[in-house]
Amino acid sequence: MLKRFFQIPLIITVLYACGSGAALRVGEPAPGFEGVDTGGNVHRLADYRGKTVVLEWTNHDCPYVRKHYGAGNMQAQQREAAAQGVVWLSIISSAPGKQGHVSPEAAEELTRKRKAAPLAVILDSEGRIGRAYHARTTPHMFIIDATGVLVYMGGMDSISTASPDDIPQATQYVRAALQELAAGKPVSTPVTRPDGCSVKYR
Amino acid sequence: MKKRHLLKAALLLAFILAPPALFALDPATVSTEHVTVTLVSERSGIQPGQTLWIGLHFELIPHWHIYWRNPGASGSAPVIRWTLPEGWEAGEVHWPVPKRIRVGPLSNYGYEDSVALLVPVQVPPSPLPADPQTITANAEWLVCRVDCIPESGRLTLELGNAGSDSGTATGTRELFRATRAQWPGAMRPAGTYRLDDDTLAISVAMTDAMPRNPADVWFAATQWGPVDASGAQRWAQGTTGFTLTVPTGDLPPDGNRPLEGLLVMESVRDATAVRSGHYVRLAAQPPALSKNRDLTPMTALVFAFLGGLILNIMPCVLPVLSIKILGFVREAGASRQRLAYHGLSYSAGVLSCFTVLAAVLLALRASGESLGWGFQLQSPVLVTLLAYLMLLVGLNLAGVFSVGGTLMNAGQSLSRVGGLRGTFTTGVLATVVASPCTAPFMGAALGYAITRPALESLAVFLSLGAGFALPVFLLGLFPAWLRFIPAPGNWMKRFQQALAFPMFATAAWLLWVLSQQTGSWVYGGALAGLVAVAFVAWLFGQWRPGGWRLWLLGGCTAAALVLVIGPMLAADPAAQPHYGNDRPWSEQQVQELTAAGRPVFVNFTAAWCITCKVNEQLALSTDNTRQLFEARSIAYLVADWTRRDPAITRQLERYGRSGVPLYLLYPPADGQPLVLPQLLTEGIVAEAIGKL
Repeated sequence: MLKRFFQIPLIITVLYACGSGAALRVGEPAPGFEGVDTGGNVHRLADYRGKTVVLEWTNHDCPYVRKHYGAGNMQAQQREAAAQGVVWLSIISSAPGKQGHVSPEAAEELTRKRKAAPLAVILDSEGRIGRAYHARTTPHMFIIDATGVLVYMGGMDSISTASPDDIPQATQYVRAALQELAAGKPVSTPVTRPDGCSVKYR
Repeated sequence: MKKRHLLKAALLLAFILAPPALFALDPATVSTEHVTVTLVSERSGIQPGQTLWIGLHFELIPHWHIYWRNPGASGSAPVIRWTLPEGWEAGEVHWPVPKRIRVGPLSNYGYEDSVALLVPVQVPPSPLPADPQTITANAEWLVCRVDCIPESGRLTLELGNAGSDSGTATGTRELFRATRAQWPGAMRPAGTYRLDDDTLAISVAMTDAMPRNPADVWFAATQWGPVDASGAQRWAQGTTGFTLTVPTGDLPPDGNRPLEGLLVMESVRDATAVRSGHYVRLAAQPPALSKNRDLTPMTALVFAFLGGLILNIMPCVLPVLSIKILGFVREAGASRQRLAYHGLSYSAGVLSCFTVLAAVLLALRASGESLGWGFQLQSPVLVTLLAYLMLLVGLNLAGVFSVGGTLMNAGQSLSRVGGLRGTFTTGVLATVVASPCTAPFMGAALGYAITRPALESLAVFLSLGAGFALPVFLLGLFPAWLRFIPAPGNWMKRFQQALAFPMFATAAWLLWVLSQQTGSWVYGGALAGLVAVAFVAWLFGQWRPGGWRLWLLGGCTAAALVLVIGPMLAADPAAQPHYGNDRPWSEQQVQELTAAGRPVFVNFTAAWCITCKVNEQLALSTDNTRQLFEARSIAYLVADWTRRDPAITRQLERYGRSGVPLYLLYPPADGQPLVLPQLLTEGIVAEAIGKL
């Protein structure tokens, strides 16, 4: 009986903990994380307070990722972001043995080969950061402002096909959001549908 | 090297010179590694003005899937672009009910094995040319198992005119028939959703097509955004439909506009899973109280405490208390320590009784019962038993019988150790006799308590108990406060007898409540039981039985009670309470009336709710209000909660109440109702109507 009694607050605490994990909302503080990049360096969201941070979920074998890298769209936006002082982190949440899972060396080789320019590529094979952000697709994009508040989540652009020919006609949501942030304006399209392949979690 | 150039040139030449028809004809079937897609038509020959059904038939290799219109957590719906003869018009794709496909922690909506996406095509009424007509589909689809492959194809089909109709192949006919059977049912408007933080509380009325024992029921929004496709959903089946709890997605609905989606019911028939679905359009409902936080936990505790204090002067409680206090007066000379003990023991009785009440209520609710506070008055059996209890307490006060030192007369035995147990029992009894009074007067705080987690609601109940027990507890600590009461004497006996009448009055009120709940036969039985109870009490008082006689008397009483209560349990619980000429409330009724352009006033009431009766007398049934209702053509609906009614309980909860009264005034057409205060005046009603 006494044991049962102590279980109740425990259950309530657990429920609250789950509840807080379930809601990722634009306009609220982004979940903190700690990840290790291909060079073994640790990146914490808290380290980048004062800077805008872009998170890009990626999987080099996913056709939708290949669309943006093959056409050079992703790399161009990574460079633009770097020029504005924006921190761009590519995150790979594919579990070992699943599509897109790579060793640190292979990941660096991919960056070289594709002439990509993220600040770092974080290997999240446990899917911890991915689950914290409810990252569901590749590419799934998140933007966190200088105060640590989530200001954008969703897709790369407005056309959800896998065809690179559609990129010029599409609205580039991430680029537009970064421009608005740089101009001190609120992000006009803060939530869009993330397109593409599912993240290959464990 | 040269040879190859020559070959290329020759091919190019052939390409240019060949008649157009030769290479304009794409195949009607495209096969990839994972899927075979065929362009199909229900008829091979066409007639002017007809609606022709055509579509793409996808046949997938095992474990691979394509997507529904809303693909869910990832993926992409197939896109078909039609190229049709001049004047022909293609309609929307009719999507069959999809399956929920899980990939790791994510869920998608899609199709495995085989699916046909059909569209209606309107053929113009003008005469058709003699040549065969060509239809072309440019399709793009994403096919996935875990990994995804985007694929595309260009498919062409030639259709002759009706004269050349060679009859549709059996296989094709069967495909169209089977596909139509997989389409969701037509749109149903009879549903609502409510946004509660991160979940949507959905309820859908199903008047027909209710599967008997569905294995699973889930909701998918037509568009991406409002619902998290991967999140766990909970569902329950009621007598009239389903309720679901669905996690919100990245773009939760704004709580004002309707939400469209598909309600899917899965059942198992002959060991195979069968899915059926209905498109539903869910009307927005205002959020529950737990969301708008009118009442914080602290204020709820304070309200409950004050409410408990007030309970002490209720007509059904005061007599019991007075006797207790008179006991203190009699024993003014006893040691202060003993008196303090008695105060404590009484408080313990009150608090344990409140704990039991709260536990019963919470346990019943946890088991899925739709109960609110006041539930103890919705059961005719409990109402009858409470009436008998009131009668017995009254008879005891009047001196018809006495129970030696265990109940009311505990005062006489204060100095004995056993007296403490008696005081505890008095606490329990005081709470039980107070319970009919709590319902009409304790709405807000208890309403809050019931919608909160178990521990929080227990705290509110205990706070109520603490307030209730406080006066006697303090008197036990400070008996000097009783100085103003005259010295013990003959007046005490007379006073005690006079106190019997508030108890009789309470019993009379409870019987009136009972008369609203049952038919005349059961009611007559309860009245007969009342006489029997009084007779047994008198016998007991005269005879003072002991040993086997006491058992005999007890046995006869129990048998008599079974005879009275039995018919009540057997009585039809759905018997409608008579409620004059007023129209009974139903959610559908409200929707129909408001849709017809009439404002609607809903009175949520119960026979046992004193506040409700006062409001009806002073504000609702007055001539002024009636005229105002007529002038504005306001429909007056009554939701009678005298007996249990889950639909009413749900509606009360939606507005953060766990009990009546509740007054809602709906503007005509689609709009949120005004919630009127719990205490009404003519002025308040007129002002609310003025806002329409």
